[in-house]
Amino acid sequence: MRPILAVALALALTALLIVAAGKNPFLAYAALGHGAFGSWDRIGAGLNKATPYVLTGLGVALCFRARVINIGGEGQIALGGLAATWTALTFPQAPPVVLPVLALAAGALAGAGWAAVAAAIRLHRGVHEVLVTLLLNFVGVLIVSEALQGSLGEPGAGFPQSPLLPRSSWLPRVLSGSDLHAGILLALVLVVVAHALLWRMPFGFRLRVLGASAPAAVYAGISPARVLFRVMVLAGALAGLAGAVEVLGVHYRLIDGFSHGFGFNAVAIALLGALNPLTVLPAGLFFGFLETGALAMQRAVGVPTPLVAVIQGLTMIFILSAMGLSGRRSKV
Amino acid sequence: MRQISKSFGVVHANRSIDLEVARGRIVGLLGENGSGKTTLMNILFGIVAPDAGTIEFKGRPLVGHSPREAIAAGIGMIHQHFMLVPALTVTENVMLGLATTGGWLRAAGVAKQIRDASSAYGLGLDPAARVELLPLGAQQRVEIVKAVLRGAELLVLDEPTSSLSPPEVAALLAILRRLRKEGRSVIFISHKLGEVLEICDEVVVLRDGQVAGRAETAGVDRHALARMMVGRDVNAPIDRTPSATGDERLVVANLTERDASGIERVRGLSFSVRAGEVLALVGVDGNGQAELARVIVGIERPTSGAVFVDGADVTAGGVAARHAAGLAHVPADRATTGLVVDMTIAENLALRAFDERPVRRGPWLDGDAMTALARERIADFGIRAPGPATVVRTLSGGNQQKIVLARELGRRPSILVAEQPTRGLDPGATRFVIDQVLALRAAGGAVLYITTELEEALLVADRIGVMYQGRLAGLLRREDVDITRLGLMMAGALEEPSSAAALYGVPTP
Repeated sequence: MRPILAVALALALTALLIVAAGKNPFLAYAALGHGAFGSWDRIGAGLNKATPYVLTGLGVALCFRARVINIGGEGQIALGGLAATWTALTFPQAPPVVLPVLALAAGALAGAGWAAVAAAIRLHRGVHEVLVTLLLNFVGVLIVSEALQGSLGEPGAGFPQSPLLPRSSWLPRVLSGSDLHAGILLALVLVVVAHALLWRMPFGFRLRVLGASAPAAVYAGISPARVLFRVMVLAGALAGLAGAVEVLGVHYRLIDGFSHGFGFNAVAIALLGALNPLTVLPAGLFFGFLETGALAMQRAVGVPTPLVAVIQGLTMIFILSAMGLSGRRSKV
Repeated sequence: MRQISKSFGVVHANRSIDLEVARGRIVGLLGENGSGKTTLMNILFGIVAPDAGTIEFKGRPLVGHSPREAIAAGIGMIHQHFMLVPALTVTENVMLGLATTGGWLRAAGVAKQIRDASSAYGLGLDPAARVELLPLGAQQRVEIVKAVLRGAELLVLDEPTSSLSPPEVAALLAILRRLRKEGRSVIFISHKLGEVLEICDEVVVLRDGQVAGRAETAGVDRHALARMMVGRDVNAPIDRTPSATGDERLVVANLTERDASGIERVRGLSFSVRAGEVLALVGVDGNGQAELARVIVGIERPTSGAVFVDGADVTAGGVAARHAAGLAHVPADRATTGLVVDMTIAENLALRAFDERPVRRGPWLDGDAMTALARERIADFGIRAPGPATVVRTLSGGNQQKIVLARELGRRPSILVAEQPTRGLDPGATRFVIDQVLALRAAGGAVLYITTELEEALLVADRIGVMYQGRLAGLLRREDVDITRLGLMMAGALEEPSSAAALYGVPTP
């Protein structure tokens, strides 16, 4: 109930801003709703938008559960996209079903590897994970840029992007009349897997104990270092997968800066979803539909798109305030 | 204080409490954790506002006051954890709380006041000493002098003896008597019945936020007080069969442990605990007991030395391996180490067993098995809770400790390392813990019982060792114990030569 109220409050407050901008908020929201849900095509676009958010948000939620503040989604997504692109371009002759699977796996592996670097620095040099993951974001994004300037770039494109990927590597469409690709199915499956992992498996138990009390974890024979490493690698794999899905399902090529803002949105989504895999899903969908709807709103009413960021920000603040205000601890 | 009431949500922390402290009297405030003592004192000191009721001090009402106004009115509060700046001197700490006159700090004047007060009350304080270098007892006396120089006529001491050695406790009580003689009043919060009876003129007992009884100390004994605190009789004699000790189960050989800054916390300790035996280690907090326990249970690796469980060297193994070998552990800190208070009873009972059958089945945690295990333990150990899914935070301290004991003893361990297992518990819960420890002893378990309470050590132990600065200052059979000597050993005034070790067998693994 609380998150819905927070969203309502955020929309109401944004309506004031729309009025201040001299536009009719009802028309604007009608356009936003229509842009998000007006047709199968729009719904498909929203789901596509939400897919990388949900995937990355799941990993962030698991990390935060263990009190591991991993904000390295951005870099992990970027490298996941890079690895998927490289795989698709290197093995174009692979059979059609095998190639996307191979490319997705490569993306997950790259994201996991990048997170493993961060985890290793955290564990062996004692640098706080916030700092390490944040800084590695820049490095990761720049590696992608570098690759696009060099061997992976499309000659003569005039923009840092890769050539079009072979058609056999594209993710299949799953809804006729829309661009919706199979990534959303993958996200749904992984939501359930993450839920089972967190609440039904020993690893999730370790995570939750560590997050709730590190001394208790040590007392119980749980190794905080091992849990930190594993959960970061897991989150990295999910983020890398998100990058691969974005490349193979939406753009069909690697574009410089394609992951911009994804990593931090994922943090917001994980928090909005109360660090619970099953509620990260609606949180991710909310962000996705809000963004596709916003483009329509801008076209129809002339309300600037940055207002969407305002809605997102206000929603976050309201929800987090409501959680803090209640003083009630959520179950760990 | 009249008809004080205060609720936090659905919890009634204080219900119509009347408390009257006359001039020149020491009033004991007794009660188990969660009985409302702290809330009542926070209301008095202006930290928390009451829902109902009035406070009057020296004939004037105190309404909606802040701690600053409480101090100005003449109320001094000495918290369990001292509010001192460790890096500053005694004088500087005292000045922090004093009203300044003009723009100058008059350090010399304050130092003189401290010296005067120090000699008047027998505090033995050097105004120029740095606070962090003082022993805890002296730090507490800094708090007292701070309050006195601020003009406190009513001093509130919250659990003032919990981290003091017996001689320090005696010194504190002497100081309080002098303050009383001057006409100052004291509220002495404690759950140690002996001290309360010794120092207080009258006692008010709180239970569940209400006054459960009040009495002149001259007219009551500890049994009556304990009954008031818990609401039932708890002093049935402890069932203690004579010890029939067997083989050495826990052996500690030449154990040394350095902390992160390179200081030796445990210095070459050797001892053993046999089957059917309780070895109590007494000592003031911070003399290496915590580090010793951590090394024995495997949380920390020793710098040198070895730990043997039933003859097997477990020094290389971690916590899980030692637990599997039969080593149970009741840590000192229930709230952050022994329990995950935001998780359920069932999860806490499975905390050390989640990775093995029956809780783990293949890759899955078996929720039903966890619940079944929890139901069994809740019944066996009389844990009072709505059910296995209850979040531990909502339970009383006594019930929380029962969960720890149920988890650690429910698996019938061969060895138990218990650190301060009764700290903060009321007499009823304390009794339960001691009974459980003795039951394990009777079943052939070996128990290492770490405590700061001599009386408690005498209750449970077959042998008593005194920890002082990481060493065993003495190791005596229960029958040979002389309380005064033990008290002196705890304060570091006596070092029993190694003869004791020789007599009772330093193990040769």
